[in-house]
Amino acid sequence: MDTSRSYLEPSSFSKKLAATIIIVYTVITLIPISWMVMTSFKNVNSAISYPPEVFFEPSLEGYVNLFTNRSRQSQEYLDSLPPPENWYEELVRSREMVITGPSKFLGRYSNSMIIGFGSTFASVFLGALAAYAFSRFRVPLKDDLLFFILSTRMFPPIAVAVPIFIMYRKLGLGDTHLGMIILYTVVNLSLAVWLLKGFMDEIPKEYEEAAMIDGYSRLQAFFKVVLPQAMTGIAATAIFCMIFSWNEYAFAVLLTQFNAQTAPPFIPTIIGEGGLDWPAIGAGTTLFLLPVMIFTIILRKHLLRGITFGAVRK
Amino acid sequence: MSVKKKFKGLSDKAVAWLFIGPSVFLLLAINIYPLIYAIRMSFTNFYANKIGREPQFVGLKNYIKVLNKEAIWEKMQVTANFMFWTLLLQAVIGLGLALLLNRKFKGNELLTTLIVLPMMLSPAVVGVFWTYLYNPQVGLFNYVVNFFHDFGSFDMIGSSVLAPWSIVIVDTWMWTPFTMLICLAGLRSVPNYLYEAAEVDRASKWQQFIYITLPSVLPFLLLALLFRGIENFKMFDMVVELTSGGPGSATELASINLKREAFEKWKTGYSSAFAVILFVTIFGFGNVYVKVMNKIKER
Repeated sequence: MDTSRSYLEPSSFSKKLAATIIIVYTVITLIPISWMVMTSFKNVNSAISYPPEVFFEPSLEGYVNLFTNRSRQSQEYLDSLPPPENWYEELVRSREMVITGPSKFLGRYSNSMIIGFGSTFASVFLGALAAYAFSRFRVPLKDDLLFFILSTRMFPPIAVAVPIFIMYRKLGLGDTHLGMIILYTVVNLSLAVWLLKGFMDEIPKEYEEAAMIDGYSRLQAFFKVVLPQAMTGIAATAIFCMIFSWNEYAFAVLLTQFNAQTAPPFIPTIIGEGGLDWPAIGAGTTLFLLPVMIFTIILRKHLLRGITFGAVRK
Repeated sequence: MSVKKKFKGLSDKAVAWLFIGPSVFLLLAINIYPLIYAIRMSFTNFYANKIGREPQFVGLKNYIKVLNKEAIWEKMQVTANFMFWTLLLQAVIGLGLALLLNRKFKGNELLTTLIVLPMMLSPAVVGVFWTYLYNPQVGLFNYVVNFFHDFGSFDMIGSSVLAPWSIVIVDTWMWTPFTMLICLAGLRSVPNYLYEAAEVDRASKWQQFIYITLPSVLPFLLLALLFRGIENFKMFDMVVELTSGGPGSATELASINLKREAFEKWKTGYSSAFAVILFVTIFGFGNVYVKVMNKIKER
């Protein structure tokens, strides 16, 4: 018998029971995501068969449809064409269609990347500066300022969307990458300041004071001593900002249309012939969700800390 | 003695303003200015799509119009119903999962990460793929439900009775991990000596749960619910893509209605008044909630 177990430790039976329930919940909660990934590898017919097919012949039709625009052609016309040059053309021809060009997906995806990385960098940088100042200096009305920064998160996005829409139209920022980067930077800023202040508070003041005695100015000490020390916190904050910008929908759908539209408003508009093209939507969804899922699993420690941070520190 | 004089470079005060300035400026320009603009517009008959026309001051007319509109109260009811069920389910399931995960069995860190996955996803994209799962002809959800009990064909999104539940289910699926994580943080903050003392006093496991675990985790749970409450009051993206407010207006939450008035009918003045009312509501409820929460914490 295990004698090292303290009487506070749950018994091994109750541990097993807890583990079983949690595993069952995990499996159930992952079914919708797995189902979407599976759908992306189905062909159009097998995606709409009932009962739903768990075992199916994998196909890349969804991915081909996601990246191309196609048009339906008559069999005579298809016969008159030279033989297909590559596998995806062959796949499209077997559905009696020809590829007419690339779809917008790649452009929307790279918009998401540009706006995501741009705004993440800006909000983490500005957030780190403000967090440092709040952490180290006596700032007049400090608590009021901090609360003001937090309270900006409570506004419903649609309440400020109309004024921003009008303002951006006047400034020429409407439907531009820069406009969206600025907007997402500001939305993320409050979270960045709050999270980073907690991390900065944990870095002992003595570090930069020692550097300053060695002849560094305050600014040099900040960039060369404090920032490297705060790297963990900066990484955690950056992931949060990135995930928000990546997933954001309301502002994107209201303020962008052709030029700077990101992937979330685009994915729902993928439509095939006679209803939604589920494998293509599945493919778009999979490609869009994959980076976030990989990030979450790799960086789980930072992430989980970040989520509970506000609550634990109060 | 002042420390800053000893070092070279900018004074601490200058550095402080240099560091805080840009953030405060951006927040004022992109957050506060639009809000003030919206409040000003709420007293006018402005239409954002009619550029040439000068807006006229109409006093409280927009506010009176919003508050007297029967349909607005229906939207508020839909929102309240959505919030009640999502918060209740997320509190119960989230706390339950946290209690189980706190038993520290092998592999629980990996399982926690997997459980958290849904809340990292884009709500709009989640809404899209749940329309597939809910599809009455080929949806997996319908198949699974019918597998356990044959209800015949049913349409989660198309039926006005089921549609409100369809959004509650998706929101609960997505956000239960959030309450779970916050509760877990709460459970881990309970010092062990409390249980040791209780054990010495021969308190039963059940008594320990009621008198130690529950009171210590409650403030955390309440905080998680505050965050979720604010978010769900603003809920827009997932529901727009899942049901787009329908059928009829069975799932038309306040913020979806607000979007229609502001960006489809372009009634800027009227919708600004509505937005201000919504903002005051959430702010008021939030404040009362925080006061109550602090009282509970003090006890």
